[in-house]
Amino acid sequence: MTKKVTIEYNDRIVRQFMLASVLFGIVAMLVGVLIASQLNFHELNLAKWLTFGRLRPLHTNAAIFAFVGNMMFAGIYYSTQRLCKVRMGLDWLSNLHFWGWQAIIVAAAITLPLGLSRGQEYAELIWPINVAVALIWVVFSVNFFITLHRRNEPSLYVALWFYIATIITIAMLYIVNHLSIPTSWTHSYSVFSGVQNALVQWWYGHNAVAFFLTTPILGIMYYFMPKAVDRPVYSYRLSIVHFWSLVFLYIWAGPHHLLNTALPKWLQMLGMFFSLMLWAPSWGGMLNGLLTLRGAWDKLRTDPVVKFFVAGVTFYGMATFEGPLLSIRSVNALSHYSDWTIGHVHAGALGWNGFMAAGMFYWLAPRLWGTKLHSTAAANFHFWFGTIGILFYVVAMWVSGVMQGLMLNATTADGTALQYPNFIDTLQAIRPMMGMRVVGGVMYLTGFIVMLWNLLMTIRNGQPVNETREITVEVEAEQDTMSWRDTFQNDPVLYSMGALLLLMGWWFLPQGANLISLLCAVAFGWLAVRKFQVSHGTWTTWYERLLHNYLPFTVLTFIAVVLGGLIQLVPTVTVNRAKNIEDRLQQVYTPLELAGRDIYVAEGCYNCHSQMIRTLVPDVLRYGDYSRLGESIYDHPFQWGSKRTGPDLAREGKGPSKKSNSWHYKHLMNPRSMSPGSNMPNFAWMSESPFDQKALPAKIAVMTTLGVPYPVMEATEIKMKALEQGVTIAKNLADEGIVVMPDKQIVAVIAYLQKLGHYDVPELENRLGTTPLGVPLPKPGSPDGYRAAAVLK
Amino acid sequence: MSIPSHSKEPELRAHVYDGIQEYDQKLPNWWLFTLYIMIVLFVIWWAGYYQFGMGRTDGEVLDAVVSQIDKAREKELESIDDAKLWSMSKDPEVVAAGKATFMTPGMCVTCHGPDLTGTLGGAKLPGLPLNDTEWKHGGKPVEIFKLVRKGAPDVTKGMPAWEPALGVKRVAEAVAFVLSLHKEGEPVTLAADAPGR
Repeated sequence: MTKKVTIEYNDRIVRQFMLASVLFGIVAMLVGVLIASQLNFHELNLAKWLTFGRLRPLHTNAAIFAFVGNMMFAGIYYSTQRLCKVRMGLDWLSNLHFWGWQAIIVAAAITLPLGLSRGQEYAELIWPINVAVALIWVVFSVNFFITLHRRNEPSLYVALWFYIATIITIAMLYIVNHLSIPTSWTHSYSVFSGVQNALVQWWYGHNAVAFFLTTPILGIMYYFMPKAVDRPVYSYRLSIVHFWSLVFLYIWAGPHHLLNTALPKWLQMLGMFFSLMLWAPSWGGMLNGLLTLRGAWDKLRTDPVVKFFVAGVTFYGMATFEGPLLSIRSVNALSHYSDWTIGHVHAGALGWNGFMAAGMFYWLAPRLWGTKLHSTAAANFHFWFGTIGILFYVVAMWVSGVMQGLMLNATTADGTALQYPNFIDTLQAIRPMMGMRVVGGVMYLTGFIVMLWNLLMTIRNGQPVNETREITVEVEAEQDTMSWRDTFQNDPVLYSMGALLLLMGWWFLPQGANLISLLCAVAFGWLAVRKFQVSHGTWTTWYERLLHNYLPFTVLTFIAVVLGGLIQLVPTVTVNRAKNIEDRLQQVYTPLELAGRDIYVAEGCYNCHSQMIRTLVPDVLRYGDYSRLGESIYDHPFQWGSKRTGPDLAREGKGPSKKSNSWHYKHLMNPRSMSPGSNMPNFAWMSESPFDQKALPAKIAVMTTLGVPYPVMEATEIKMKALEQGVTIAKNLADEGIVVMPDKQIVAVIAYLQKLGHYDVPELENRLGTTPLGVPLPKPGSPDGYRAAAVLK
Repeated sequence: MSIPSHSKEPELRAHVYDGIQEYDQKLPNWWLFTLYIMIVLFVIWWAGYYQFGMGRTDGEVLDAVVSQIDKAREKELESIDDAKLWSMSKDPEVVAAGKATFMTPGMCVTCHGPDLTGTLGGAKLPGLPLNDTEWKHGGKPVEIFKLVRKGAPDVTKGMPAWEPALGVKRVAEAVAFVLSLHKEGEPVTLAADAPGR
């Protein structure tokens, strides 16, 4: 039984999201060009709200959430309605989603330059905006799932799988990483600190790349690529294998942002090897995209849409090959904190995201406005100019990253000292490359501006069209009838779960028991393969049924993405707490130092300065003894950083790196007076603006709630302590001929910088997890604990 | 390896999604092996490190190298005394090398000034003058040498330690350069605010 239904698609919302994406894309790129130029010309830090530290978060947030976010919503809203043969959910939800999202972007564009920041990368927005993002994401999810629920097409196409994975995973990541306790309407402290914060942050940060910049765009590729080339998708079974392996493996790879740091080794090993295992699943997406063109390669010569898609997918392949490479610990020792990483993300952002967006916009515009594209020649110009721009950018960053990495790691002939002890020398060497990246960025931006013109001309020639289609619906379709028992009690799910459980036993059980677990896992895997060979017909049929049931599909996807995070985060959140830290414990910040730290975080110093000396000889020679877990255990948020445009500051206040107060004063006022050739902005206003004394009691109260051992202090006592310490520093500066009031920001920042690297060594008997002789006891659920115990025997 | 036959079209799935169809091609072997090899590598690596205790921890590797470096530096230090530093200060090559280190932007020159007076254009710099005979931490060549190596006792008010970044040789050369502007046996006074005085 079938019946005919007439549907009017909601194409208005697609047009809105598309135009917002183009507009915010150009804004994001403009800011990018400005901050890239600031690296060579510090004078371009024109005002305190236009400094690199404040604008770089604006650039990344705008590129990710405003540009790619709006593009993703346009693509999802266009394709989901058509793949489900039903109008998008509820119109008011669609509108609320659109306007809510734009309001969030505007709020971000105002608060970030004002220096309101949570101080974690791509998670800088302050807590009221976080709440708004979460709510609007729920609006989007509800709208999307209503559409799925009402669908007139029983089976879910692969694009929808990726959209589902995107929606649930981003909700999970965003909420967990933004858990914080407010101290005021504009400030909060992350509930996580130190290593826990680092791990949660990069679980989020890496998977923002995975589930915000990759999976939705793969879904868009699966819809628009076959449409544009009018060919069938290359392989359905490749879709299945690469989808499930991608969403399962990706979530584990976060720790590769923390290689060679104080992060426990087992997490580093998981981060590195899951990144390597991720290589094939990522390339599965590339293969399915590129091989769809088989038999239609001639379109590549004539159709700019296909050009953009093919180049975009190729850049995706390049970036996802480079990613695993950079995750190898020894490669990472060179590349991390350098421009190589910056080049890598831009190959993805400009090449994959930007070009997929452009291809989609050129395909959509004629259809949404019922006309043809105004100028194919201009689109071709955009393509070539943009491609050359990306190559300029990426090659410059490769050269810069490798060169600076090698210079920073170089030692003198006898290996006892650094070849380039002055960090500035390595900065001067890459200045031409930083210039070349601006050229590449400007070219890419120019291409986008040409696209804007081309789209506007197309719009002028046409009229907005809302497609109306008459479709045939099967009245008694078998859809959404699967029981929960059928969802879980079947071979594919049970075998996967069993294998994972045994693998966990191998990782976390004590020596001996874990070996048995591994052998069981291998045997179990062999059994699963046998079973699949014998009866893969039933596996296929079950999966086909799963595709007819959106809720079971969503639940299984959620389980696949939640596992990696749980296994990595839970032991760290429970084991790596202050009471379990063995050898070193950070000294608690005084009120003044805390005020200084909050200024450091708000100004975005972490964008250029790390606070993590890695377990690498050049790091130790340059910055001192390598950082231990306990040394940042009270840091809410952690400031380990991800890029060293300037030197590491983990031991800035102690040991060989320590400098006098007057040095810091002069350096903050004008970095070039102490460090000729530096590209750091002047922070001269800090000597005039007072730090926020009033906020301190609330901040310390929240810190105490979070477990930082502050002594009990009255509000007046806190303020007085802050001022007393300020007076000491101001007096010391006065001895050097510098006049500054003790309540100024610069005094607080100096106090903070001078505190960096101070720790206590707890008495042996007070350390948990060690025998009286100081031998570490094996820690339950910590592979490193078991190894240490086994090796000592 | 079987040769792909062109006579047999790959299987096209019956279902059509909004006009989109899908083939059901076999997974490419090289692709599968990329995945398998990475999984096997992971198992071997993890088993080697955690099961069989192969390889050292990062801390062990680092401590070994650092103790080697420390030994090499100690050996370099053994030969350095007042006489050696004075004689270095008379070797033009050593002095030139020391001067280059001293005058590198961001190094000694930043705080002690290009003319070693501790001032720049009349303005006081954070560093003390090195061209007079008053010394805050002792004026004997080994005392100066130690101060440059290890930094001032209270660094908040003075000199950072330079040995970790520069190494023994370059520190000795820089000290030799400073000494080359002094005379062996000249009277040395201790500053009024010298620690321990």
